[in-house]
Amino acid sequence: MEAKIKVDNISKTFTLSKKQMKINKTNEKRKVAVNGLSFQAYPGEIYGLLGPNGAGKTTTLRCISTLIKPDKGDIFVNNFSAINQANDVRRTIGFLTSELKLEEFFTPNYMFDFFAKLHGLNSEVTKKRKIDLFTKFGIDSFKEVKISDLSTGMRQKVQLVISIVHDPEIIIFDEPTNGLDIITGKIVTDFLIELKERGKTIIVSTHIFSLVEKICDRVGIIIDGKLIYDDVMDKVHETHGHIEDLFFDLAEVSTS
Amino acid sequence: MKNIFVIFKKEIDRVFKDKRLVLTLFILPGLFIFLIYTFIGNALVNMQEGDITEIAIINPTDTFESIYTNAETNNESLENIRVIEIAESKINEYKSLIDDEEWNLLIVFPTNIEEYDPLTDENPEVTFYSNPKDAAIALGRFRTYLLAYDEHLKSQEFGDISYIDFNFEESEISEREMIGTVMSSLLPMLVIMFLFSGAMSIGPESIAGEKERNTISTLLITPIKRSELAIGKVLSLSALSLLSSISSFIGIILSLPTLLNLEDQSLSVFAINDYLLILVVLFSTIFVIVGVVSIVSAYARSLKEAQTYIAPIYILTIIVSITSMFSSGANTNVYVYLIPIYNAVQSLVGIMTFTDGIGIFVLVTTLANLTYLIIFILILNKMFKSEQIMFSK
Repeated sequence: MEAKIKVDNISKTFTLSKKQMKINKTNEKRKVAVNGLSFQAYPGEIYGLLGPNGAGKTTTLRCISTLIKPDKGDIFVNNFSAINQANDVRRTIGFLTSELKLEEFFTPNYMFDFFAKLHGLNSEVTKKRKIDLFTKFGIDSFKEVKISDLSTGMRQKVQLVISIVHDPEIIIFDEPTNGLDIITGKIVTDFLIELKERGKTIIVSTHIFSLVEKICDRVGIIIDGKLIYDDVMDKVHETHGHIEDLFFDLAEVSTS
Repeated sequence: MKNIFVIFKKEIDRVFKDKRLVLTLFILPGLFIFLIYTFIGNALVNMQEGDITEIAIINPTDTFESIYTNAETNNESLENIRVIEIAESKINEYKSLIDDEEWNLLIVFPTNIEEYDPLTDENPEVTFYSNPKDAAIALGRFRTYLLAYDEHLKSQEFGDISYIDFNFEESEISEREMIGTVMSSLLPMLVIMFLFSGAMSIGPESIAGEKERNTISTLLITPIKRSELAIGKVLSLSALSLLSSISSFIGIILSLPTLLNLEDQSLSVFAINDYLLILVVLFSTIFVIVGVVSIVSAYARSLKEAQTYIAPIYILTIIVSITSMFSSGANTNVYVYLIPIYNAVQSLVGIMTFTDGIGIFVLVTTLANLTYLIIFILILNKMFKSEQIMFSK
């Protein structure tokens, strides 16, 4: 089976502002966020990118989603280069991260239509898609309420459905259950499994072991910007029993 | 290109779906300007009432003299007029003085006006030649005295038959130039100020605000081209700024007659093509202003930072536009019209002072401003592509 996402030896370094240097308590002006990272994700699979905070998970996902460019290496999404064919990549992916926000003045209904238009959906397809997603996530009851007046959970549901308004083949979710209540969290994880069963290629980043155990078919462990493990979950179970044990074994080796 | 319209519509909706924004951007500016300038105009009228109005009369009659003397005495303004009797041969001399703004009013009565026979003779004609500058109040009063004199002649002496044919002539060259000069010293500055403040109240929020709230990143991961985003933003902001400034412009136009102490029809000194040229200058200038505001907003990391950066540019713009107050006419050096903002100021001065060949200068201004717009959109496009700028914290 051909991989839908090929991350090929990417590196990304950021220049820190004085404020960021102070926060990170460092005198180094540059920070290597991702260093020579490679992995592949396949259709009908959920790939879990597991790592502690600051390991480089979000930077990797931002590179895949074309929000930023890697300094070295390239990423191929559906055989399109994220560096040279960014717009083709954007058509194929749906990216959800808590740092991306929706304009609070508008309603979920308005925002859905707006992003559907930007993705080139016609009104008929938009209408059908809206009914499906709004019903599944219970957004109908607050679809005409301004986003500024919604609770955190409601906003996350809206952000989620808007990120997949165009029914993308590839879905990239950064910490998908962070901040969600247990009911919404379950709706999201069930939805990811449903998408996987429909043949979508999914990458999720997380630091929650149970989420990886529950939904991921393949896992990559990232520490200090380097991918130190990449294999299917069956192999993890076979060699270490639980992902948590594997992670701490690797983390110990990595830090020593 | 369809996405440009999608972005355009979203930005327009953002403003028009918010009643508070509609009120503050489109209604209050015009209303406040109208009220403030009307108030200032009335204050100026009160100050002007102490000015001396110089009046020359040919063939005056005792009755007319008693009408205006009594009325001016009652009005406590007799000392503010200087009336002299002149010979008929001096008509042209005094008309010239009025044209040159060195005299205010000439009233020409025919010889023996009160001895005409309304049944056999044609109505006598009274010519009223004036320069409204600095003396509009007194001029208005003298027109009233003439009407009163006509009523007196009709009712007292000849029954209810119309007697005098009035011929009100105004020093048109003088008035046109006067209105144009006064307006050209004030309007360019006001127009540029309002265009800029319109752009300033929407631009930073639309770009720096979106950056600060990270809503722009959500747009950047859609397949929209950065150029479409840049054009959509600039066009929508231009349209909104223009609407906002039109509100201010209407306020200015409605209050100008009072502010400048002009007759209500004062704006009719400008022909339709003058107004069209003014609109062309406004349209092209708003693109330059919005372009600058957009670039600064895209560079800034937050809304507050954008407003801080824009403030000195706004002051600089006002300084440039104030130059119209100290110029006697438009600059005739065509290269001047390549300088942004200054070209708009000079074009407006040129239109309002009826400068020869102003069409060419407006054309150069428009082409220069459209070139700047293209450059600004290209820069904005580059900025939207730059992760250092778009994601700087």
